[in-house]
Amino acid sequence: MAVLHMTMVDPLIAVTGLGKSYAGRSVIQNVGLTVMPGDIVGLVGANGGGKTTSLRMIAGLLQPDTGEGRVFGANIRNPKRDCRKQIGYMSQRLALYPDLSVIDNLRFRCAVYGVADTGAAIAQMAADYGLNAVLETRFGHLSGGWARRVQFAASIIHAPPLLLLDEPTAGLDAATRQDIWHWLDRLAAKGHAIIIATHDLIEAERLPSILLYHQGHAAQACSPAEFITSHHAKSLEEAVISHAAGLGV
Amino acid sequence: MSAFGRIFGVARVEWLRLIRAPMTFTLLLIVPAMQVLLFGYAIRPTSAKVSIAIAAPSQVSAKKVAAALANQSGLKVISGSLKSGQAESLVRSRGVLIGIELPEMRSFANPFAPQKPLRIIVDGTNATLTAAAVPKIEAAYWREIVARADASDSGPGLKIERLYNPDQRADWTFLPALIGVTVMISMIMLGTLSLAREREGGTWEALLAMPIGAAETLLGKLLPYTVIGLVQGTVVLVVGISLFDLPTHGSVAALVLVLPLFAAAHLVLGYAISTRAATQVAALQGAVAFYLPAMLLSGFLYPFETLPHWAQIIGNFFPLTHFIKAAQGAFLRGDLAADTFTHAVPICAFLAGVTGLAIIAHARRLD
Repeated sequence: MAVLHMTMVDPLIAVTGLGKSYAGRSVIQNVGLTVMPGDIVGLVGANGGGKTTSLRMIAGLLQPDTGEGRVFGANIRNPKRDCRKQIGYMSQRLALYPDLSVIDNLRFRCAVYGVADTGAAIAQMAADYGLNAVLETRFGHLSGGWARRVQFAASIIHAPPLLLLDEPTAGLDAATRQDIWHWLDRLAAKGHAIIIATHDLIEAERLPSILLYHQGHAAQACSPAEFITSHHAKSLEEAVISHAAGLGV
Repeated sequence: MSAFGRIFGVARVEWLRLIRAPMTFTLLLIVPAMQVLLFGYAIRPTSAKVSIAIAAPSQVSAKKVAAALANQSGLKVISGSLKSGQAESLVRSRGVLIGIELPEMRSFANPFAPQKPLRIIVDGTNATLTAAAVPKIEAAYWREIVARADASDSGPGLKIERLYNPDQRADWTFLPALIGVTVMISMIMLGTLSLAREREGGTWEALLAMPIGAAETLLGKLLPYTVIGLVQGTVVLVVGISLFDLPTHGSVAALVLVLPLFAAAHLVLGYAISTRAATQVAALQGAVAFYLPAMLLSGFLYPFETLPHWAQIIGNFFPLTHFIKAAQGAFLRGDLAADTFTHAVPICAFLAGVTGLAIIAHARRLD
C-alpha cells in the first residue's frame, strides 16, 4: 500500500485500502493516501489507470467498495456538505455552463459555495488569472486554453484548502500549461493542498511527490527522483516503463 | 468505397449505438406496445354508455321510463327512482351525464292544471359523448307516445336543457383541457432535459461535487420552469377566453393558483425520469412514455366516462385527469375555489410522491 507523508498535524486526507470495481472489473485496488496542507501530490499513470476514480472518491463523487478513511475529518463514505465546501474540484471535461458568460458561471460558483463578497472574489480571480478580457464572453465561445483558465479559476474561487485537479493541462499549449503550473506552485506556497492527476510524465517530474498508478494499483509513493533512481532509469518515463515490465504487464 | 458501402457503414454505426443504449431500445418497443394496448382495450368510445338518472313523482312512471330506455344502446340508467329534482342535482354534481325529470301529471283532483314538459338535463361539458344520447332518449319518448291508444295525445312534450355549454361547442370542452395538456408536455420535457443536458454537457459532475443538496438542486432547477409553466398556461387560458369566448362561470383564479402545482408535478416527474436516463434522447422517450397514456386516459382525447373501469383507475393516477376536471369546472360548471382546490389534492399527492422519488433517485454520486 502506498502511503504519503505522515506527521503529527491533522491530515486533510487520510485514506487506506481504497478499492473500486465496475461490472466485476477492478479499477483501483488498495490505494492509500495521506495529504497535509501545502502538499502537492501527483496521481501519475496511463489513461485508465484509476487516477480519476481515486480523485472522484476523495471528492465524494464515488463510493469506495473497500477501504476507509477521512477527508477533512468526514468519513469518505459519507461526505458532509462542509467537507465539499473545502474542496475545489476540476474535472477533466469542461464543466461550466457553455451558454452562460464567464462572469455568470463564476457568480454561480460563488452562490453555491457561499462566497461572502462575490464581486471582490470575481475581481480577484480575474486579476490573478487574467480573465478580465473574457468575463462577459460566453464560456462555450472560449478557446480550449481560455476555457481551462476559467475552469481553474471557478474551481478555486471559494479559496478551498484542498484542490483536486483531473488532467488540468491536457491538450493545452505550452504557455497555458506553464501558467497553470505557476498558479499551482503559488497556491501550494499559500498552504493549499493540491492533488493533481496527470498522465504526462514530463510534467509529473516537476511534482514533489507522486503516486504511480498502473492498472488500478497505486504502486509507489515517493518523489520522482527517488522513483527514477530506484528503477535505475534516466527519466521518469523510462522508470515507469521499467516498473510496468517488472509487474509483467 | 462505393456509396452503398458508406451508407452501410453509417447504418451499422447507428444500429450499434441503438442496441447499446438499452433504455432507448426498450422504450422504442414499450411505447408502441402501450399504444396498441390502450387503443385496443381502453379507448372504445363507440361502446361507451351514457349514465342516466330518472326522477319521477311515482315509482311506476320512473320504471316505465327506465324500461323504455333499457333497450337503447349507449344508455345506462344508474338511478331509476329518484325524487323530483334529484336527477338534475346528480347531473350538477357529476354523478351522471343526463338526468330525466318527469313532471307531475294531471290528476283527477286537478284535471286542468297546466301540463309541464318532461325535462332532459344534459351535462354539456361532454358534448361529444352526450350528443348521440339525447336523440335516443327523444326517439324512445316518441315511440312510447305512438304506442298509446290515443294517438291525439302527444304527451307532456320534451324540454332539453344543456347545462354549462348550451350550444354544445366542442371548443369549450376542448380548450380547458388543452391548458393542462400544453403545460404537461412542456414541463415534462423541460424537466427531463434540465438534468439530462447537464449529464451530457459534463456539468453534472461538477454540480455533484458542490455543497448543494438534492432537494436544493431540484428546487433551484425547477423554480424558473414552474414560472414558465404558469405563464404558458395563463396565455392559453387568456387566448381561450378572448378568442373563443370561453365562459368563466367559476373561479378561474383558483385554477391559475393550481397551475404552478400542476406544472411542478410534471417538472419533477421529468427530473426523476432523467435521473435514470443516460442521454437526452432516452430521457425524452421516458417523457413520451408518460404523457402519451396521460393524454389517452385523462379524458382529453376521449371522454373519461367511456373508459373501462381499470383504465379509469389508471387515469386517476395522472395529474392531467384532475386538472381537466378542475379546468372544466372552473370555466363551464361554475365551480367555486373550494371545488377547484379539491381537484388539486391528487395533483399535490402526485407532486409529493414524485418529489420523494426524484430526491432518492438524484444520486449524490456518480456510481
